[in-house]
Amino acid sequence: MPYHEFECSKCIPERKKHAVVKGHGEDLTSALPLGYLNTIPGTISERGCAYCGAKHVIGTPMKDVIHLSHGPLGCTYDTWQTKRYISDNDNFQIKYTFATDMKEKNVVFGAEKLLKQNILEAFKAFPKIKRMTIYQTCASALIGDDLNAIAAEVMEEMPEVDIFVCNSPGFGGPSQSGGHHKINIAWVNQKVGTLEPKEITSDYVINYVGEYNIQGDQEVMMDFFKRMGVQVLSTFTGNGTYDDLRCMHRAQLNVLECARSAEYICNELRVRYGIPRLDIDGFGFEPLGNSLRKIGLFFGIEDRAQAIIDEETARWKPELDWYKARLMHKKVCLWPGGSKLWHWAHVIHAEMGVDVVSVYTKFGHQGDMEKGISRCEEGALAIDDPNELEGLEAMETLEPDIIFTGKRPGEVAKKIRVPYLNAHAYHNGPWKGWEGWVRFARDIYNAIFSPIHELAKLDISKDEIPGDCGFKTQRMLSDANLPDEVRNDPTLRQYTGKFDCLKDLRGKTYPVFERKTAAAPAAAAV
Amino acid sequence: MECQVKPRERAGIINPIFTCQPCGAQFASIGIKDCIGIVHGGQGCVMFVRLLFSQHFKESFELASSSVHEDGAIFGAVGRVEQAVDVLLMRYPHVKVVPIISTCLTEVIGDDIEGVVRKLNAELLPEKYPDREVHLIPIHTPSFVGSMVSGYDITVLDFVKYFAEKTEPNGKLNVFTGWVNPGDVTALKHLLAQMDIDATVFFEIETFDSPLMPEGNHVSHGETTIEDLQGSANAMGTIALNRYEGAKAAEFLQSEFEIPTIIGPTPIGIRNTDTFLKNLKALTGKPIPESLVRERGIAIDALTDLVHMFLADKRVAIYGNPDLVIGLAQFCIDLEMKPKVLLLGDDNSRYKDDPRVKELQENVDWDMEVITNADFWELEDRIKNKGLELDLMLGHSKGRFISIDYDIPMLRVGFPTYDRAGMYRHPVVGYAGAIWLAEQMANTLFTDMEHKKVREWSLNVW
Repeated sequence: MPYHEFECSKCIPERKKHAVVKGHGEDLTSALPLGYLNTIPGTISERGCAYCGAKHVIGTPMKDVIHLSHGPLGCTYDTWQTKRYISDNDNFQIKYTFATDMKEKNVVFGAEKLLKQNILEAFKAFPKIKRMTIYQTCASALIGDDLNAIAAEVMEEMPEVDIFVCNSPGFGGPSQSGGHHKINIAWVNQKVGTLEPKEITSDYVINYVGEYNIQGDQEVMMDFFKRMGVQVLSTFTGNGTYDDLRCMHRAQLNVLECARSAEYICNELRVRYGIPRLDIDGFGFEPLGNSLRKIGLFFGIEDRAQAIIDEETARWKPELDWYKARLMHKKVCLWPGGSKLWHWAHVIHAEMGVDVVSVYTKFGHQGDMEKGISRCEEGALAIDDPNELEGLEAMETLEPDIIFTGKRPGEVAKKIRVPYLNAHAYHNGPWKGWEGWVRFARDIYNAIFSPIHELAKLDISKDEIPGDCGFKTQRMLSDANLPDEVRNDPTLRQYTGKFDCLKDLRGKTYPVFERKTAAAPAAAAV
Repeated sequence: MECQVKPRERAGIINPIFTCQPCGAQFASIGIKDCIGIVHGGQGCVMFVRLLFSQHFKESFELASSSVHEDGAIFGAVGRVEQAVDVLLMRYPHVKVVPIISTCLTEVIGDDIEGVVRKLNAELLPEKYPDREVHLIPIHTPSFVGSMVSGYDITVLDFVKYFAEKTEPNGKLNVFTGWVNPGDVTALKHLLAQMDIDATVFFEIETFDSPLMPEGNHVSHGETTIEDLQGSANAMGTIALNRYEGAKAAEFLQSEFEIPTIIGPTPIGIRNTDTFLKNLKALTGKPIPESLVRERGIAIDALTDLVHMFLADKRVAIYGNPDLVIGLAQFCIDLEMKPKVLLLGDDNSRYKDDPRVKELQENVDWDMEVITNADFWELEDRIKNKGLELDLMLGHSKGRFISIDYDIPMLRVGFPTYDRAGMYRHPVVGYAGAIWLAEQMANTLFTDMEHKKVREWSLNVW
């Protein structure tokens, strides 16, 4: 059997089928762990709640919206300033968060009046913002407040505002994933089709879905779409606007990035509006190139995609390969939340040379594991809903050179001298796009070949203290055992981009492509 | 020209200064050795609080969840606690103390955590763990009451109530620090050592700043023991530094075991540290040694270099935990600064009657506002729309965008301070804290002068 039993979890037999080792020649029918089941209490699992899945992961990256949580203020505070979903409107969604501040008396007598007062106050404080999302929490769900009714009441009284309601209390489902689902469906039910696009400017119109603009990923991808002459009607949801997302029904294609968190809305848009879904990868030279090529194929503009691929590859390949030469066979624990499991599993091996020795997912489903396991190396350990002790045991057994995970588990890894990169929020991203992928490789390189990391392993009471040098550079560590021809390869070079690679993108101008058809009125565009 | 005390008048919160009670309970729990708390509720209530602690301390702390899902929310979830306790005890053989921390979810559905603890004590523990010392402690911290400050206060009380046991006098002094950093505990223990006082510090959290060791040492946790908590009933006296964080426990020990008790002042600044030493002397009879006279002299010397030239008349806003905010305001006034706005979060009705607040009302001769039940919008709205001008902000990292957007220099102080390195390592209490605070405030102002090119030349000679 491929199941992997952790020493620390022998006492909880339910855990037995949640970890597998991908054995030689084994396929997924024999090597697929259970997934997305209720958490075993007391395991110190890393999972979050359905409220955060809805509000924090998907809702809040929307940039021109008052995000109000109906409940005690803790849910709001705790999910505020813990991620890096930026925007090009000065990060309103990061800076401001709203809570109705439900107190004991509201729990007893109901909090609908409190909610309404909150809505009015928030719009008054930010008179230029006319859009709002309201999120249910455990407390407001249990006392049975009717959020939809209050929202409808306010919209009737204030016709200039529009309000979206997401009923996804924290206890809804095994993890944050339940919240992803709920907000997807709520958005398509409540908001899609309630507004028509201001203008259709291209023959090729997409929604970019499941993209949260972590450190600017969305803006990097928008650059490619604009260079292809593709109009992005909306982004769900990073750097996206509320009203654009109401127009999703007018796109010709849904381009889906994070299928874990946002496939639901794509599937609904296909059923309801006949818009096809195209899954893509923004990470990695080849997957990204293929993704643009697929979009190009769909619209018959492959040449435009190819031009970008050629230009970007020529610019960045020598830099990626510089890192690849130095990262060969470094062992990686790829321990993200959900989709990066499969976004990265194969391509970091193929393009950066590292070996994925373990994959895990906190909130992914079996489908994510299928994709992740099929893409990772043989012998890798796959863990569903990992807990603290299992993570430690795995790291002690596998001895990875680096781990890609969340901030807090990263601190656990640090203590056993495994460097970490933030898989959710990144270190020095963006990591999408060709340049971004080099930035990722650069971040991995700087983590693994840190002179401080080397010093952390020295026990000055027992070990020989070298005492023969005053410092070490990363290259003294990374190049020590490299053959001369690699070390001195004149075709390769280190990353040459800027600390902030977004600034130039934000002011960039784009070519205007000739339309095949004359610009039609928006409503008849499809 | 007067100091007004007023509550937030809006119903809602725009940018909260505090999180909710279970966070306070979790912060108290991680201070105890061999303790892992189980938060009875949704998973986010633990996951995000652990993240918050790791943002602040750059360390991971162990806390468990009972992982209540829909079925539990509908049919009751005490069974999840039973399972959580068993799983935790099986896999963490060193664990002895398990607080069961309630949340809004489990308080609203009315889960009987006392009942489940009785049941576990009667069945699971004697049957499965007969030779093991295990303490299950129910802690009620509904999120719709108070804030993380009251959650901490209640939890310290519950721990002390549960463990305190009168036996023989131990000659020690109880010191309840309130919500502080490892650097504060180091500074306090230094003062106690200089006074030759044998004290039990609640909680021993210097180890939150834990090393990265060659052999690997993955867990950061506090070191207050069960024996320390039991012995709190046998102390010669108690000092609680803060009125709102730890004072409930001190008052309990006083009324239950007749332990002489002094509450406050928070020893921030020279004057409050002097009073703290006076109180130590009163409770223990120990004299204040020459070494502290000298240490105080070094602090006074450092402050004299700064006060009348650089700090005088600087207008300050301060927000965060109430005792911290009030202590900082008092110190700033001694430094000739002008606190303009103090923001005290949560709806605790006692703030307006706090003698320290009353003292401000009686003596401040400039316009000053003390906002209770405050959020960040109370501050931002005044700056953005009502003409409030500030030279400096003091507070934690969640207020960083006010500083950034309105270009007001800010010294990070309190909890959490994740956007500056190593703040938890430095004290704000004692003479050491006074030096650190004053010098950091000055350096923050200096950097701002250079950044804005305002009188930056004045530092050419100093």
